[in-house]
Amino acid sequence: MDVPLYLRPRVESPLASLLGAAPFLHSLVDALGSPLNVLLPEAVAENARRFRSVYRRHRLAGRVYFAHKANRSSALVRRLAAEDPAAVGVDVASLEELRHALSCGFTGDRIMATGPKDPEFLWLAARVGATVNLDSPGELEQLAGLVRRYGLGRVDALVRLSGFESAAGRGGAGTRLLARRSRFGIPVRDARALVPALERHADAVELTGVAYHLDTTGVEEKVRALEQCVLFMDECRARGLAPRAVDIGGGFGVGYVADAGEWERWTTALSEAVLGGRPPLTWRGHGYGLRNEGGTVRGTAALYPGHRPTAGPGYLDELLSLPAPVLGRPPATLLLEHLHDLYVEPGRSLVDQCGLSLARVLEVRPTGEDSGQYLVRLGMNAGDVSLEEHGVLVDPLLLPRGEPEKGDGEPVGVFLAGNLCLEADLITRRLVFLPRLPRTGDLLAFANTAGYAMDFHAHHAQRQPVARTVAVEQEGGSWRWCLDEEYWPITHPGGMSA
Amino acid sequence: MRYDSITEAIGNTPLVRIDPAVHGLRTIDLYAKLEMLNPFGSVKDRPAWHMARPHLEGAADGDGTVVELSSGNTAKALALLAGLHGLRFKSVTNRMRVPEIKELLLLLGAEIEELPGRSECLDPTDTDDPLTHFHRALSDPGSTYLHTDQYFNPRNVEAHAAGTGPEIVKDLDGRAPDWFIACVGTAGSSTGVARVLREHDPEVRVLGLVAHKSDFIPGIRTIDEVHQVGLFDPATYDTIESVTSDEAIDGMVTLIRRCGLLSGPTGGAAYQGAVRHLRKVDAEPAEPGRRRTAVFIVCDRAESYLSYVRHRRPELLGRVNRGHSAAALTDAEARAEARVIGVDDARRWIAEGEPRPLVVDLRSPHAYAALHIEGSVNIVDELFDELVRGGLPFSKRTPVLLACPVGEKSVRHAALLTRMGHPDVRSLAGGIVAWRDAGAPLVRA
Repeated sequence: MDVPLYLRPRVESPLASLLGAAPFLHSLVDALGSPLNVLLPEAVAENARRFRSVYRRHRLAGRVYFAHKANRSSALVRRLAAEDPAAVGVDVASLEELRHALSCGFTGDRIMATGPKDPEFLWLAARVGATVNLDSPGELEQLAGLVRRYGLGRVDALVRLSGFESAAGRGGAGTRLLARRSRFGIPVRDARALVPALERHADAVELTGVAYHLDTTGVEEKVRALEQCVLFMDECRARGLAPRAVDIGGGFGVGYVADAGEWERWTTALSEAVLGGRPPLTWRGHGYGLRNEGGTVRGTAALYPGHRPTAGPGYLDELLSLPAPVLGRPPATLLLEHLHDLYVEPGRSLVDQCGLSLARVLEVRPTGEDSGQYLVRLGMNAGDVSLEEHGVLVDPLLLPRGEPEKGDGEPVGVFLAGNLCLEADLITRRLVFLPRLPRTGDLLAFANTAGYAMDFHAHHAQRQPVARTVAVEQEGGSWRWCLDEEYWPITHPGGMSA
Repeated sequence: MRYDSITEAIGNTPLVRIDPAVHGLRTIDLYAKLEMLNPFGSVKDRPAWHMARPHLEGAADGDGTVVELSSGNTAKALALLAGLHGLRFKSVTNRMRVPEIKELLLLLGAEIEELPGRSECLDPTDTDDPLTHFHRALSDPGSTYLHTDQYFNPRNVEAHAAGTGPEIVKDLDGRAPDWFIACVGTAGSSTGVARVLREHDPEVRVLGLVAHKSDFIPGIRTIDEVHQVGLFDPATYDTIESVTSDEAIDGMVTLIRRCGLLSGPTGGAAYQGAVRHLRKVDAEPAEPGRRRTAVFIVCDRAESYLSYVRHRRPELLGRVNRGHSAAALTDAEARAEARVIGVDDARRWIAEGEPRPLVVDLRSPHAYAALHIEGSVNIVDELFDELVRGGLPFSKRTPVLLACPVGEKSVRHAALLTRMGHPDVRSLAGGIVAWRDAGAPLVRA
């Protein structure tokens, strides 16, 4: 066999100690079935504090809004609702997310309504005093109309801008920073035309800030966008409007793979495999977007950068510290000097290390190709742990049922198959290396799935069960748990009042 | 030497022996091929001219844009060549990672297009990279782009097969060296030179150097990136090894400080990689009486990489601060020595002071223009630092109120001015933010 190409996950406390409590996790799956989602509500509060500490370091005011779409759970939202109201809010992108946030204890003034909005969503957001993140001029008209027709109070609104590449910066002559096209937001070149409408509707809608969200890991593009927002806010102020917050969206990222070397070895091996220089690393030689054209690799690997030295709060810190292209000062200084607040909407990075997904091993058999590889069938399907769907490649951890038997110690390459009667239902198309061959009854734990990988794509196809979700908390040496819907921040899981 | 066009000065670069006392190899003579002495400053002058020449001569009517994927020397050479022929040049690049080179390209009249970063919220079905779109734009009917295509264009290799390679053989008295060492960027120089040297002597060993995977060395690709280069053929190289940016800078410093060669980091990487590789061979017992030779390429010069060095090895550019500087004060000293004044007292002082204080706003001009304390003057902190370096910028008879966003910078500057002998300088506690939060008036310029 080849040297095992591990992609072992980054796990930090308390997730690491939870993974060490294998008998506890086995008993949960015995009782509640496979698959099972496990959440650590305390970890999300700690992450919020880490983001806040970046604010403090740069002397910035403003809220951290949790992007609810990253996870449906109640425990996480309820835990965040218990944090300082001036520091932590929630970003909702649907009517149901808004209702859920309200039911979890968020008051309207801590809620940001983003994304595509139907009239009911818009009305409820306005009714409860949420801030509306306006996606288009039409939405401004619609919101102002609702406020007047139903006698609602004046609504706080941000304008979401996009298309920053066409903004010719004063210092950027000769240089054009291209950007990926977005379906959201108002192109910055059209934003000025929106100002008269904002003035006309000032009695119903108050412009409190400007927003963007860019789908890129490139920090320079975000610095440019942030600066364009500051410049636009200045134009608004000159017209007598009083915006004071810049909402820079999310996309701060998570590092999934612990070791940079493992990530580099694996991605190098993928190029080699695509060129035929080594056996495939994947089911049916899948190239993750790379292809071989006459001995040259073409295309881009559609993979999330698995190992990220700078992610989450660290990425925000970097973004705030780079010099901006036009005014030359770092974004943190720009915001502070212009007396602006900073809003962020982290999703994935706010729930980093906040949960895991468990699956029971149901069957282990050789692939039958005399390669020493095995097919491991799990009590879950690709929808239950949608890492692959987001291009995230990371190994699950093996939690054996009992004591290991002799001769179990050899690393082995396995393909992880799901519980659907469907050729394509593989948890990942990657050949996953495990320290030894799993046995029926063992558990595989997918670490760090709380951001988009836990319930985003879960479905009822073939009437297979959807995972239940539990919240857990460590107390002394032992773990307590409760169902997600039973969790409240004032009760420790297990029913004991705090 | 007299030429009609600067393009005639491309090529015929010197081959210079490195003093054995510097590299320490006992049985091997090491030579540097000084491609940095080409007229536009790098090894890329040859392929740029050879690739662009048919386009430039074809487009003599002055219509069209030469376009290339390059963030460095190829772009530089093409920009100059395009300008020389009355054409425009556009560089498309993932990122301009060395700011001086970006500025230099703008000075040369180039237009720069930077491609977007990778998606954060990934759509695995979208495997079209930005380059696909770039190539589509080039092949649009009616496109006036002249694409030199350095990663796939065989004329890139030919330029070296016709020039660099034969020059090395000629300067070694008609013999090929035992080793040829080159950094792999477009693979043009290594492929072209290797071809010529092997024709002379099939025993020549070729060492290709790539950048360490998580690292960045200008002009060199990583082992994964070379697989995306059309000209790259693994069979060209007997060995491929990786070098780090640290090694590149070490090599560069050795070439500069001990050999009189003003090499950039790419040449430094080639030197360091060559010596590292050859040291192993040198230790083995050699054929008696026969000295062996090795040649590496010095790709370009040092001057454009100061920020690259500053970022990685700031101590090499260490400067000593002269004069008065707020940065020299500790937080405790600043707090102990500065006078601070709250918003209410400051408002009274401004209104009723005898004499009234000069209010200095240390924020940037753009922020100042947006909102400031009426009657204040704006001296942005960077400029203020420069002013005080030479002495007190205000009369001692004028009281001064310093304001910054939150009162953090102003307290340092107030402490410094006090130390410099100003009798009445105060820092606005909590800065302009506190002023606004207290409801005190701010005006626009």
